[in-house]
Amino acid sequence: MDGIDLMATAMRAAQARLDVSASNLANVSSDGFQKHVAHVALTGSGLVASSVRDDAAPPLRHTGRALDIAVAGTGAFFVRDAAGNTFAERSASLERNARGELIDTRGRTLVGTHGAIVASADATIDTEGVVRDGGSIVGRIAARGASLESGFLAGTTVDGMHEMVDVLAAQRAFETAQKTLSALDEERLKDADDVARVKA
Amino acid sequence: MNRALYAAATGMAAQQQNLDVIADNLANADVAGFKSAQATFEAIGGDESLGTASAGVHRIFAQGKLMKTGGAFDVAIDGNGFFRVERDGREAYTRAGSFSRAADGTLRNPDGWTLHGVHIPANAVDVTVAPNGRVTATLDTHVGVSVGQIRLASFVAPEKLRPLGSALFTATSESGVPRNVVAGAEHQARIAFGMLEKSNVSTIESMMAILAAQRAYEANAKGVQAADEMLRIANNLHRS
Repeated sequence: MDGIDLMATAMRAAQARLDVSASNLANVSSDGFQKHVAHVALTGSGLVASSVRDDAAPPLRHTGRALDIAVAGTGAFFVRDAAGNTFAERSASLERNARGELIDTRGRTLVGTHGAIVASADATIDTEGVVRDGGSIVGRIAARGASLESGFLAGTTVDGMHEMVDVLAAQRAFETAQKTLSALDEERLKDADDVARVKA
Repeated sequence: MNRALYAAATGMAAQQQNLDVIADNLANADVAGFKSAQATFEAIGGDESLGTASAGVHRIFAQGKLMKTGGAFDVAIDGNGFFRVERDGREAYTRAGSFSRAADGTLRNPDGWTLHGVHIPANAVDVTVAPNGRVTATLDTHVGVSVGQIRLASFVAPEKLRPLGSALFTATSESGVPRNVVAGAEHQARIAFGMLEKSNVSTIESMMAILAAQRAYEANAKGVQAADEMLRIANNLHRS
């Protein structure tokens, strides 16, 4: 692999870094979103970028609404869509469907330890996921290793300032690689000319 | 495909929509019975990092503060439920209780929607509404004559009601059918007379949200710029 090829991989890696930062920035208002982090590594085939989700727990945002729930720390609770697919969630603003079952804002049913949970709008949820309505227990949210906070929603781990710096860094890295590539290209052109002159 | 360019563009579109919703909340901050809305967003593309998309706008039916107005027929709901109003044979539901007496003895809101279940005779004075919704008046020398009963409706899923105006809603198949609420009963709503329910919009929170949305929009616009600039640089690789 020569210098030009290497610089081309560097440009591609910088582009991948920007892809990740741009998507993080786009999700600065997405509740529960965990940012992705780009890693660039030097391998036998030049610079290669990969991205992984940062597992840090999103900060909780106070809403005061009893049916807003968020996972504190690690863990998840589950919602099920009409087709029966189950999704793990960290945060949901619960509502009720026409049958009185607790659902998330996209209409997916909250999974309880004994199926869907039917509760009134005045229901309360404790940290163990026990749903109480008018003093009696009406269900328990099936959660995995999670302590639930009622009255909170999960925010996002995206830090706008940090991402802006990353955008700038990616752009400059791209530019540097391009300039180096152009310089190498010019050298090569000069070499070609010199060779031609010697021959002549 | 330039993923960064499109991801940043989805971010700009999301903040635009966010701002639309906040602006609508602020515009209706002084409308009695108005319920604020909130736009939510979610990541798209899973681990592919493709940007964001709307996860819907949902309405927040939290109680607004009750304020004393002294209006002769102003009523507010303290708790869950809606006033049943009708116009041209259509039923709708509202928490805006600013009514006035019409010539035919009915109580109407400023848009001409009639409050269900109340008919006030022409000679009635001293009309009052009890917490349980019973409307009484003094007719000639008779004190405390019942002239109607305000009935409240509640819905299993009020978030799924369809808005007809800033504070008026109709039922949908998802909201469920209206169910009668006995006002004043234990754990049920009470009717407050001479009061109106303010909107549940927090002006300060909305202003903060506008600032945040504006900055987020700006950051995403910079993302678009950076992606574009990099495309330009890449194009400059080839010099003739």
